[in-house]
Amino acid sequence: MLRYILRRVLESIPTLLLIVTLAFALLHAAPGGPFATDKAMLPEIQHSIEARYHLDEPLWRQYLRYLGDLARGDLGPSFQYRNTSVNQIIAAGFPVDLTVGLSAIALALLLGIPIGLNAAWRRHTLWDRVPMAFAVAGISLPVFVAAPLLVLVFAVKLHWLPAGDWVHGSPSHLLLPVVALALPYVAYVARIVRGSALEVLNTAFIRTARAKGLPAHRILMHHTLRPTLAPVVSFLGPTTAGIVTISIVVETVFGLPGIGRFFVTGALNRDYTLVLGITILYGTLIILFNLLADLCYAWLDPRVRLE
Amino acid sequence: MRARARALALSFSAALAACSQHVGPPAPAADAAPSIGVGDAAAPVQIIARTLDDYPRSLDPQLTTDIPSQRVLDDLFEGLVALSIDGRPVAGAAASWQQSTDSRTWVFHLRENARWSNGAPLTAEDFVYSWRREVDPKTASGYAQALAPIVNGLDIALGRKPPETLGVEATDAHTLTVHLVAPTPYLLDLLDQVYLYPVYRPAIERYGDDWVRPEHIVSNGAFALQEEVIGNRITLRANERYWDASHVQLRTVVYYSIPDRAQAVLRYLAGDVQFTDSFAASQRPWLKSTLGDQVVNSPWLGIYMLAFNVRLPPFRDRPSLRQALILAIDRVALTRYLKFDMYQPADTLMPPLAGYEPQHPAWAALSEADRNALARRLYAEAGYSPLHPLRVDISTSIQGADERHFFEAVAAMWHSVLGAEVSVDESEFKVLLQNRELKRLPLFLDSWIGDFADPVNFLQLFDSRGSLDYGGFADPRFDALLDRAAQEPDNAARYRLLEQSERVLNQDAVYIPLYYYATRHLVKPYITGWRSNLLDRNLSRYMSILEHQGR
Repeated sequence: MLRYILRRVLESIPTLLLIVTLAFALLHAAPGGPFATDKAMLPEIQHSIEARYHLDEPLWRQYLRYLGDLARGDLGPSFQYRNTSVNQIIAAGFPVDLTVGLSAIALALLLGIPIGLNAAWRRHTLWDRVPMAFAVAGISLPVFVAAPLLVLVFAVKLHWLPAGDWVHGSPSHLLLPVVALALPYVAYVARIVRGSALEVLNTAFIRTARAKGLPAHRILMHHTLRPTLAPVVSFLGPTTAGIVTISIVVETVFGLPGIGRFFVTGALNRDYTLVLGITILYGTLIILFNLLADLCYAWLDPRVRLE
Repeated sequence: MRARARALALSFSAALAACSQHVGPPAPAADAAPSIGVGDAAAPVQIIARTLDDYPRSLDPQLTTDIPSQRVLDDLFEGLVALSIDGRPVAGAAASWQQSTDSRTWVFHLRENARWSNGAPLTAEDFVYSWRREVDPKTASGYAQALAPIVNGLDIALGRKPPETLGVEATDAHTLTVHLVAPTPYLLDLLDQVYLYPVYRPAIERYGDDWVRPEHIVSNGAFALQEEVIGNRITLRANERYWDASHVQLRTVVYYSIPDRAQAVLRYLAGDVQFTDSFAASQRPWLKSTLGDQVVNSPWLGIYMLAFNVRLPPFRDRPSLRQALILAIDRVALTRYLKFDMYQPADTLMPPLAGYEPQHPAWAALSEADRNALARRLYAEAGYSPLHPLRVDISTSIQGADERHFFEAVAAMWHSVLGAEVSVDESEFKVLLQNRELKRLPLFLDSWIGDFADPVNFLQLFDSRGSLDYGGFADPRFDALLDRAAQEPDNAARYRLLEQSERVLNQDAVYIPLYYYATRHLVKPYITGWRSNLLDRNLSRYMSILEHQGR
């Protein structure tokens, strides 16, 4: 197991290097520079700003310099936020994304799995049709509609919850963004679990369990759940990386200080180091969560061999 | 500050404008705003929450050029001169000043009781250090060239002289002498610019870039930095050591960065914030019907316009074609139907400013029919006709559907009056900037918000020797008038020269004025101690909260 993890980690290094190289090349190829402003400077002054950030050097040297800094864990200074390093921006924003994202995944699993299992067990009844209708609605309702609706109802009209902002450790500030973010995933998980559970419920070992007269909850929790979760894990692996980096819409609507917004403004403002830093973080997360998914998969299904 | 194009300013809301279309509250939401009862006495809790359109780029006065930073720095720091409640220069860190008869030497007397937030005295040497730092190429300040009026300022910024040669000296601890290249009657207006705020040398030398973090920063304004949540909010507390602390009523000011304007409106309606920075023009009608007087629009010193590149076809050597396009626009319809009366139509460059005679061109007095007829005649003179129409793009940046519709309306007016076939070419903001600077665009979006209340700040846009003349305009008459104005110590006479130079611009037809900017705030009725002003700078130092019921 450890050897497998180590091998996967080592394999990810060239992948990340490729991501960095491509992102570096694409960013520098995009027209417009980081320090071009709406108020054009005299060329000498523009040059002195660029020189401070080594942008006057040949591209290959800038690239090597960046890799050298990266190897030391230094993602460089942000060009856009001039007193702030990319490390500081990520350190400030990523915990917010992680908190909201993991909470949303937890909510999606906590609601989605029971709803899906229940729907499969009571197939073709109202217990199946009503939640599945909601699931379709949940998947179809875009987050940029759902999120402001939640704000309008629970913050502006009812004043039950704050309309936005972020206060560390405050559940009331966490609730609306987590719900908005989790809604479509609750629906996805419920549908996947239902479909998967239906297959499992038709297998011989479940028929045996029923024939033995086991109660429903035992059949569902002990025998059905584990094999049912395999497709959920394959779905969540890559998805989790996307969720913990939150949706930029959720960040925007709730005024969350995550890094998604920095990523977008960084790209638009040609903040090379900021975009590269966040790209590396995203790349790492995707690799990490895929690895975790594979490990989970092997645990859930003993037939899967990692080596 | 920062100028060309706040509307252009690439905030993330522009990028997500399509999304913003959806997140706006549904109209009409007349019951969204609960009524608020306001008393006369001060509220027991003096905390205000204000919004910023984007997260400040830096809290280092010499490294920043954006408006959100300016808002916060106006509360954190104070220059020799401060802004009054009306946005005019008043005594700040300097209690008084004198100028020499030729207006080239100014002596400022600092307040004896002016202190830094750590208790250290604020001295003339602090200003000398800060201003040298601003022009020193090592600092890499984006506004280094703005110190050109000070002796050697430009040479230092260009790396030709050492920073120590800057024409500013500390005669004693509380006396600062400034030597100017030319008489500068508007010096006081310049001195409240953020980049001339003093900075605390020991903190910078000790902490480097991190000197602006709450645990290290030392400032001299009415407020001190208490907390910073990167990307979210900046909290200030009243600075007990400020020389005028006894008149500062607010105890805490929280600036929330809310790049999405619709979200800022929601936060205002929910009562989380009391003073917002801006809202979209398209939201104005329902905001007005919902919030009434809480919606504040007033003149803001800025103009939204298009500019011609007079060196590129089809506009090169064709003043009559340029004039025809200037004429064939119904500005009243544009501002009424596409900007919902938020802005005032503009027919000349300089927004209204006390003492400066507006240079309305002759066509401004014509009826719409006469104007269009004249436009058609000029268009024909330039060699265009329905069979041989003008084909050109308006180059603009991606700012969302509202702005696209605005320029489509302009193109439609040109089509209906002249038969011109004009389309809107949107590009990323940085791409527009680059193409504009490289002078590749024949007709492009240009806009300007005045750094300070003086016409020279607008007219310099067309100075052929400057870095802002993106349209390649060069008229010796115009440049000569600017030069004469720069040597004129008498302000009234200087204004007359600048008025002449603006007439030259209008005769040469080098830009298309569209509308003048307006401030766009939402302000709770219990916030007092602020007034709309031309520079749209409202210092929290004057504000306070009245007793009230409801949010």
